Amino acid sequence: MSPTPATGDTGDREPLPAPSNEPPAGPSPRRLGRATVGKVIAFLPALVPTAIVVAIVVTLVSSSHLHNFGWRFFEAGGGSNPYGDLVFIVGSFLTAVPALFFSMLIGLGIAIASTTYLPSFLSKILDPFVDLLAGIPSVVYGIWAFIVVAPVFGTLVNPWAVAHLSFLPGFASSNHPTSPTSLGVGVPLAIVVLTLMALPITTLLIRDALRSIPRDLWESGLALGATRWEVVRRVSLRHGSRGIWSAAFLGFGRAIGETVAVAMVIGSADRFPVNVYDSSNTMAAYMFENLDAALVNPLVGYNLAELALVLLAITLAVNILGRRLVTHIYAQEVPGL
Amino acid sequence: MSATPTAGEGGSVVEVRDLGVNAKEQKILDSITLDFAARSLTAVIGASGSGKTTFIRSLNRMVELTPGLSVQGKVFYLGQNIYDRGIDPVLVRRRIGMVFQRPTVFPMSVFENAAFGLRILHEEEDNIDPAVQEALTRAGLWGEVKDDLDRSAFSLSGGQQQRLCIARALAIRPRVLLLDEPTSALDPMASQHVEATMRRLKEEIVLILVTHNVGQAARVSDRVAFLHTGRLIEVGPTAEILERPREALTQQFITGRF
Repeated sequence: MSPTPATGDTGDREPLPAPSNEPPAGPSPRRLGRATVGKVIAFLPALVPTAIVVAIVVTLVSSSHLHNFGWRFFEAGGGSNPYGDLVFIVGSFLTAVPALFFSMLIGLGIAIASTTYLPSFLSKILDPFVDLLAGIPSVVYGIWAFIVVAPVFGTLVNPWAVAHLSFLPGFASSNHPTSPTSLGVGVPLAIVVLTLMALPITTLLIRDALRSIPRDLWESGLALGATRWEVVRRVSLRHGSRGIWSAAFLGFGRAIGETVAVAMVIGSADRFPVNVYDSSNTMAAYMFENLDAALVNPLVGYNLAELALVLLAITLAVNILGRRLVTHIYAQEVPGL
Repeated sequence: MSATPTAGEGGSVVEVRDLGVNAKEQKILDSITLDFAARSLTAVIGASGSGKTTFIRSLNRMVELTPGLSVQGKVFYLGQNIYDRGIDPVLVRRRIGMVFQRPTVFPMSVFENAAFGLRILHEEEDNIDPAVQEALTRAGLWGEVKDDLDRSAFSLSGGQQQRLCIARALAIRPRVLLLDEPTSALDPMASQHVEATMRRLKEEIVLILVTHNVGQAARVSDRVAFLHTGRLIEVGPTAEILERPREALTQQFITGRF
């Protein structure tokens, strides 16, 4: 700051001037300029997130060479993979959607138990474990699933399902040469891992949503002769619907973007799964596994950038859609809150 | 008249006998005995902390939802002690309804709010429409909402919401309705509507109203019970208690000295 005091400051300690009919003098142009600069500097940080999103989209579009190659990557034989990139998009949804379903279901169960049925001293002990679960690095989930859970699938779950459920479409064992169900890795194991990884965020948000119900609203339900379960089902879930939808959208984002743990357990077969035990691959895992190929072959690099763009577009779309839906529910169901 | 009411006249729907509620080291209610006759409105008045809310919450076992409170004594509903072992509080609350300080409408339509208790009871679909209309009529809200029952209950004004809460409680036809300062969150106009509803309902069922507003007690009640630090100081016809109280404490409360 300049050490010389601004001229306008000297009058501050003098008594108030007598009222005059002249309009009061505004700030000097120099002070005005300084204030504007200050405002701009204060605004700049607010633009950072926007700038980052725009920069990522623009640069990814240019490195994906979308404008040169179009969407041909998604057709069979189009990308670096003979089956086309559609495989990975399908693989991502095939793992993320069931994982989201299970993690929402389990998260609802945990949240309802913790907020409604557990004595408060017990829920105080048990609730922090959900936060611990959120802190486990994904590579730990991946290794654990690969070493411990995969053999269980390979030796128990998959053989049982082949023996008892083969009348269902997709449950019969195939003799596909590269899908030995006995290894246990594959789409089901990826779903298990993703369910566990999405579980903390869904549980935490659902729990907060259920906990947000005002005490007198909760008691009003009970005062009408409803059981706790009926109040949860008919009132709390509606009242907390905003948080529950948020849980679903954030959980989906977590599941579809997860990379390392999925790469470790999905079997990394770049094709559509032929049965429910089969391996496949996801966008995120495929990108991660083909970095070295991209160094050698620029075509692979373009392809990966294009996949990244698709994944980005999906997560942005889910995010925006989620926001809209949530504000819509918010405005309709629970105004004034 | 002392704190002992005339008991056993017959026709009492609720009979409270030596009711006490204790927190860890504190008596919240001390040995209250009081009867409530059919088709009456009793106002329970008292200062903050006098135990009046705890008192009506112990009449439908809502008091058990507050951790750390223990209940002694008996509350008979049509001759049955609601605190007897084997009595399910859920069933008690289906007979003895309650309305809270703040309107507590559920996040659903006006119709579904009023039908809530009926759905809990798995009432047949054919019976729900007429029962909802009847409940809304009894609560004095039907005329204002009948054209758009599907709109969100949040779109109603505060006073309408509170009458919807009354309708919701009435829909399952309780014999007793507990009202815990039902107008304390409402403006004077909305309060008038709720008071008119109360005056009408006292011709049909037992109303027990907790209020800190002596004027309201004067306007709507037949009988006033004054609680002070958990004890029933005095009970009697409204005019008598408000104009010629026997106890000095009652006199002090009514004249606004505490």
